[in-house]
Amino acid sequence: MTVRLTALHEAIDKVMPEVDGVIGVKSNPNGIVAPHLFLSSHPDDLAALAIWPKEPVPDTLKLIQRAHPEAKLAVVCRGCEERGLVEMAKHSQVDLSKVTLIGLACSQEEAEFCRCAKPYTVHAQMTVGERIEGVPDPLTDAFAAKSREEKLAFWKDQFEHCIKCYGCRSICPQCFCNVCTLEDEKWVETGRLPMPNPPMYHMIRAMHMTAKCVACRECEETCPADIPMAIHFRLIARDVKEMFNYETGAVIDQKPPQLLVLEEGEYERTGLPH
Amino acid sequence: MYEPKIIGFLCNWCSYRGADTAGMARLKYPPNVKIVRVPCSGRISPELVLRSFREGADGVMVLGCHIGDCHYSTGNHRTAKRMPILKKLLEYTGIEPERLYINWVSAAEGEKFANVIHEFTETIRALPPITEVMK
Repeated sequence: MTVRLTALHEAIDKVMPEVDGVIGVKSNPNGIVAPHLFLSSHPDDLAALAIWPKEPVPDTLKLIQRAHPEAKLAVVCRGCEERGLVEMAKHSQVDLSKVTLIGLACSQEEAEFCRCAKPYTVHAQMTVGERIEGVPDPLTDAFAAKSREEKLAFWKDQFEHCIKCYGCRSICPQCFCNVCTLEDEKWVETGRLPMPNPPMYHMIRAMHMTAKCVACRECEETCPADIPMAIHFRLIARDVKEMFNYETGAVIDQKPPQLLVLEEGEYERTGLPH
Repeated sequence: MYEPKIIGFLCNWCSYRGADTAGMARLKYPPNVKIVRVPCSGRISPELVLRSFREGADGVMVLGCHIGDCHYSTGNHRTAKRMPILKKLLEYTGIEPERLYINWVSAAEGEKFANVIHEFTETIRALPPITEVMK
């Protein structure tokens, strides 16, 4: 058992008496790792507590809160999952007032696997593991350096493999609308493969991820065609930071810029005519 | 030489009236722009712009009231927040961001309207047709 897993066990044992349950990741006998609600009435479950791979824990919390709005819960979350929870709370998808966050710092290998710039939690009440600094994102940087023609060719090549399974939309912690634009025949035609050009599905999704994507890379992980679509989201996130000075998940009471009117000095940074 | 196809989304309260003013002043401007009147420039979702490109528009222009003059107070703030991001997205997808044009034209600015259309039509004419880019 690694040091981090031992520390996580200790943190869960400490918080368990104060809450109704702890959401974490459990490895099942069949080898499948999945999110799990650990309860004090089932202490044996904790023996199978796992930390890797990461699973969509924010969505699990949302589902449990929908069914049990009064439940006091604790969540084991990584940096990206914490950002996801903060953004979901801003859009009234989860209620963080009854939730204890147990922050789990990512290891160097995990951060490099996710090309993560912030592999640590900032709001969590307790933290587990050694905090490491963010790693660069070579894939996005290499893409940004390409010429226009190369970018077009890159995406044409990538989106050719897209089977429009909607997996990236369904796994995304920030995609929670009841009525989804991507299911509207006007914008995305059903049954049309390969993707038309311009790739409506992916461009609409990238637009909807503006100031919402928390860079958790769940979409890339779930994609059966291994499309690196997070490149789009991460480049836009850099622009949102520059134009509207907004970073997802950084400040709990800062509203997303797309929901607000223009503020002093913001217009000048958008590059629009005067 | 090809004739570019341009879709112009004009807000009902300022830019569409501006186009009227240009017409009443008998100002000449290229006939490439097909004007669509919308209640507010904030109505223009990225989906509408993207679908215009998919259907073969070589350029899309979104004209609205000047910031502060919106009929619905802050409708054009949405445009000002959404469209720069969409321009960036076009760039990241490999489509020339110049194909999307945003400006503010008030009801009195008939001359500005004609100039804007001239300018944008020439910009688009210098680019290859979108059907060739998107092949």
